[in-house]
Amino acid sequence: MTSDTQTAPHAPRQAWLATLARASVAQLESAIPAAADLPALHQVRPAEVGMVMLRGRVGGTGNPFNLGEASMVRCAVRLGNGPLGVGYVLGRNKRQAELVALCDALLQDPQHHDRLHGLLIEPLATAQAQARTQQQRAVADSKVEFFTFVRGEA
Amino acid sequence: MSANPLLAPGLPDVVHGTQQTFRAVLDALARPGTVCEIGEALPDVALGGAMARVLLSLTDDETPVWWQRADPTVQRWLQFHTGSGVAANPGAASFAVIHDLDAVFDLANFAMGSAESPEFSTTLIIELPALHGGPELEWRGPGIEVLQRVGLCGVPSHFWSQWQANHAAFPAGVDLLFTCGDRLLGLPRTTRVRRLERV
Repeated sequence: MTSDTQTAPHAPRQAWLATLARASVAQLESAIPAAADLPALHQVRPAEVGMVMLRGRVGGTGNPFNLGEASMVRCAVRLGNGPLGVGYVLGRNKRQAELVALCDALLQDPQHHDRLHGLLIEPLATAQAQARTQQQRAVADSKVEFFTFVRGEA
Repeated sequence: MSANPLLAPGLPDVVHGTQQTFRAVLDALARPGTVCEIGEALPDVALGGAMARVLLSLTDDETPVWWQRADPTVQRWLQFHTGSGVAANPGAASFAVIHDLDAVFDLANFAMGSAESPEFSTTLIIELPALHGGPELEWRGPGIEVLQRVGLCGVPSHFWSQWQANHAAFPAGVDLLFTCGDRLLGLPRTTRVRRLERV
């Protein structure tokens, strides 16, 4: 999830998958071309609901521990004989995972990449970054520093 | 992202498909020598229907599979759908996919398990040209009322002497699943195999 884990050849794909995973169904549906314009869609792995173990670190830097399990959906599709698109989304909305997988397949296709990237990924990434900054600011405003007074002896 | 040689889909209905296959394998091992129908071949998968469905149903990320013929397309396909890794040697494998019993082949190379934990043995899935029509042998043991006559095709006679050693190692030993296209036949380690007595 963190940006520093991205490695060179997969970095752009990781970035758009991260953006897609946070997008809503309505946002995704608005950018998909009509089914008639696309090659036949094969479900290589139909959408399935499962669980992932979320791991955390105390204070962000300590030893890793298992925070808890979250439900998620995954899906893999292929358009015609094109590249394999995968979708991993938190929650249980199968439609959302299918749409993410479809978008991923389209984004790997040079014919659709530029249009979809401009239409969907860039605005979504900007909006998501803004929302995160806003939330961070709101949280920072209410930050409280705890400290303890030492009882004076004098 | 590289040019995949088209990853084929797995079972159309994962939950029911794997449950039906599991039940059929259970029956096949409970009644050795009985032919069970598993299901038709899966599209774009270079394996028989029974072999492909058994692998999809029984393997997961903790069961490495040893392949007699390494085929990267099929290995990738299985790894994608079940997460099972490729075993480097037969002794480390939970399952083994065999296509040719005439090749240099020794049952003792596979994991036999031990008396304390006989479950840590390899299950061999062997594709044969036919499950009947070969030289008939007498199978006896648990799950067979008196005796079962089975004439597997494409099993060399030296294989059966290896099988005797495997049977003698009980409770350790490997279990076999013979497949041919859509069908499957089980040979658990408890079954004794003898040549037919000449009349």
